Amino acid sequence: MKILARQVMLETRLFLRRKDDLFWTLAFPLFFIVLFGLIYQDVVWEDLGLRAIEYLLPGIIVMALMTSGIMATASGFVEERERGIYRRLSLTPLKRRTLLGGQLIQRYVVILIQTILLLVVGTLAFDIQISGNLFWSWLVVTLGALCFLSIGFLLTGLIKSARAANGISMIVFFMLMFLGGIYFPNDVMPDFLRTFSNTLPSTNLNDALRAVMIMGLGIEEAWRELLVVGGWFIGSLVVAVRLFRWE
Amino acid sequence: MSTVVEVRALSKRYGSLMAVDGISFSVEEGEIFGVLGPNGAGKTTTVETIEGLRRPDSGEVSVCGIDALREPEPIKELIGVQLQTTSLYDRIRVKEAVDLFGGYYRKAIPTATLLQEVSLTDKKNSYVSELSGGQKQRLALALALINDPGLLFLDEPTTGLDPQARRNVWSIITGLQEEGKTVILTTHYMEEAEELCNRVAIMDHGRIIALDTPSALIAGAGLESRIELDGVDDELRAMLGRTDLPLRMVDSGDGIIIHTKKPSLVLKEIVRTAIQCGVDLSNISVRRATLEDVFLALTGRQLRE
Repeated sequence: MKILARQVMLETRLFLRRKDDLFWTLAFPLFFIVLFGLIYQDVVWEDLGLRAIEYLLPGIIVMALMTSGIMATASGFVEERERGIYRRLSLTPLKRRTLLGGQLIQRYVVILIQTILLLVVGTLAFDIQISGNLFWSWLVVTLGALCFLSIGFLLTGLIKSARAANGISMIVFFMLMFLGGIYFPNDVMPDFLRTFSNTLPSTNLNDALRAVMIMGLGIEEAWRELLVVGGWFIGSLVVAVRLFRWE
Repeated sequence: MSTVVEVRALSKRYGSLMAVDGISFSVEEGEIFGVLGPNGAGKTTTVETIEGLRRPDSGEVSVCGIDALREPEPIKELIGVQLQTTSLYDRIRVKEAVDLFGGYYRKAIPTATLLQEVSLTDKKNSYVSELSGGQKQRLALALALINDPGLLFLDEPTTGLDPQARRNVWSIITGLQEEGKTVILTTHYMEEAEELCNRVAIMDHGRIIALDTPSALIAGAGLESRIELDGVDDELRAMLGRTDLPLRMVDSGDGIIIHTKKPSLVLKEIVRTAIQCGVDLSNISVRRATLEDVFLALTGRQLRE
């Protein structure tokens, strides 16, 4: 337990010293909420019955979750593995599950901080009403975190070099972001693209989070979306475990 | 003296390459044991198998009386390892790295003491990425020593270091032996093995082709010493030409090189003739055979090819 706590401290310290991680996980989503907040300040999307910025906030949270869960995880882990850090650590009595546990906890904490930060900026600066149940919202965010972390670790099993990890995780990230209905409702897409988009974890998490957090619907109203996200979580986890490599 | 490491019939194959081919040896407590050989001889595979980093295809390894292949976990507390290249997190300070590793062991040497020992005290707040090659090696050594292990594995600890830094590491290693630690060292530097090791296993193509003390290896190979004379006097040359001493003489351009198994007899003759002719022999050098020559004699190849 003490060693796990120390690993979390270590990962946190390393995270705070990695400028690109800080940029993508904290600055980048904040930049988006401020930018869209300013652009869409007074715009209301009548057919959804929401202010544009209220529509966008859950999407930006989903994007932030993906920067931590997918991008930072895949590139960080592959780089440390490629450099032989895990190999050196395996000579010490440190258990691998403790090492992994420290990373997962640290990422989850960052995800919660990202979410809270975006909510605070959204409500204070742009007057977004969070009318939903916070406990349910937290559950949805946690399911999303698990899902994206699994996808991130799945990628580490597929990708050999750190250089490729940066590129590939970024492609996955942007694909999930742009096809995930994060910046515009996906009903503007042509049919085949919308059908594809509707199967993505980002689209479904986005819709579920919007329903539960912004529209104040019960979590049961979003069961279909949450089922898809849960499916992605379990599916990615199974493949990630199978492909997982320490060396 | 008791046996610290016992390796029996160890084999490891990578594809069609037998990286380690059925080797056996044992390491006694308190000795510096060298594993010497060219790149690709199987040195690293051998030591990394003992350390528990690699699984052999067959064979037995026991470390401090524990079966290393069945129970690798308890051994981790007893050994210290410096890998050929030790990678750490870039953005971690020297002091933090030592603290971090110390926290993994049941007992650990205080960070300040350890940094003192490897002369990194004034670098304790530097990031690992800012260290020079020699400093990184010394940090890696500090991390290997953190749990005060009785048995140390050093994989090419001085490769890539300048002569000054190499001497530095040598004196640390000698100091470790004086503390009673056992050291297993791989190297492809002959002079390093001769200087440091009590016993040396010479490896080539995954096999141990010789194992003994450096001087016994040199003596056992029956090698010739080498006497070099620059700007040699005609009288001396004539004497060496007609003597029946066991020697071979080669012209080296501006002088001669004499190969002999009886250096004292040959030298005595040279000195006698030189005094007779009033030559002062300021250009003479004598070199005994080295492990380099032993390797050449055993394999027909240079060590560093």
